[in-house]
Amino acid sequence: MNVPIEAYLMLSLALLALGLVGVMRRRNPLMLLLSVELMLNAGNVSLIGFSRLWDDPSGQVFALVVMVVAAAEVVIGLGLVVAIFRSRTRLDVDEMSSMRG
Amino acid sequence: MGEKITFAVAAIGALGFGTGVVFFRDAFRAAVSLIGTLLSVALLFIVLLAPFAAAVQVIVYAGAIVVMFLFVIAYLGERGEVTTPDRLDRWQVIGWLGVIGLGAFGAVAVLDSSSAPAEAAPATTDVGTPASIGDAFLSDHLLAFEVTSLILLVAAVGAVILARSAAQGEGGR
Repeated sequence: MNVPIEAYLMLSLALLALGLVGVMRRRNPLMLLLSVELMLNAGNVSLIGFSRLWDDPSGQVFALVVMVVAAAEVVIGLGLVVAIFRSRTRLDVDEMSSMRG
Repeated sequence: MGEKITFAVAAIGALGFGTGVVFFRDAFRAAVSLIGTLLSVALLFIVLLAPFAAAVQVIVYAGAIVVMFLFVIAYLGERGEVTTPDRLDRWQVIGWLGVIGLGAFGAVAVLDSSSAPAEAAPATTDVGTPASIGDAFLSDHLLAFEVTSLILLVAAVGAVILARSAAQGEGGR
């Protein structure tokens, strides 16, 4: 392992901060979901890095579970976006405050 | 040496394309930029001797998830664009302070870590093979495996219900 684990963790941290900025400043829910994908990938980099560090497949198992959760989240999130979009015209998370359809 | 060059390329690619995801105004460009980030991360997985995770990353993330994003973006079209781009109008300072604080906290935690082993474990390439991952999944992490199947089932049922109620709201079927 020529590159120290700290380098991978710093990269993961930078990606997570980038995704956090995206989640905070975007109004479009589609862009919010894209930023969340970025944050999940940051977590995956850390998990696979630790898996390599300890020479243990558990980290890769966790990363695969995270990918499944990301896929499920995107399915539900995009379904909500399309459903909201059909009933309203503007895509703005600040206006999506009602729970009734 | 090769590992360092590959890591540098992948890190620059991931951060550059990630900046594009966050700052592109156009949703289509942001989604395409996400593909670059995902491929860079897959390259990192290969460097970390996790070829199976890299393959799943490319197939599931770059293949399925981003295609679904692009499909929805194309379906929704251009209407509904919000003119005010920034949600952080009033809370801008607090938001940026939060991000910087989190970054500093994480950096200190990473660079200060004393619990990590000084030397990485010797590289055994069979940790990243599908066989060892499947073995770990079905022995140590059986509960996570079952919960994963439940999550996928719930997501599929939820997507069907959302699509049906949306179709009814439109007056169809």
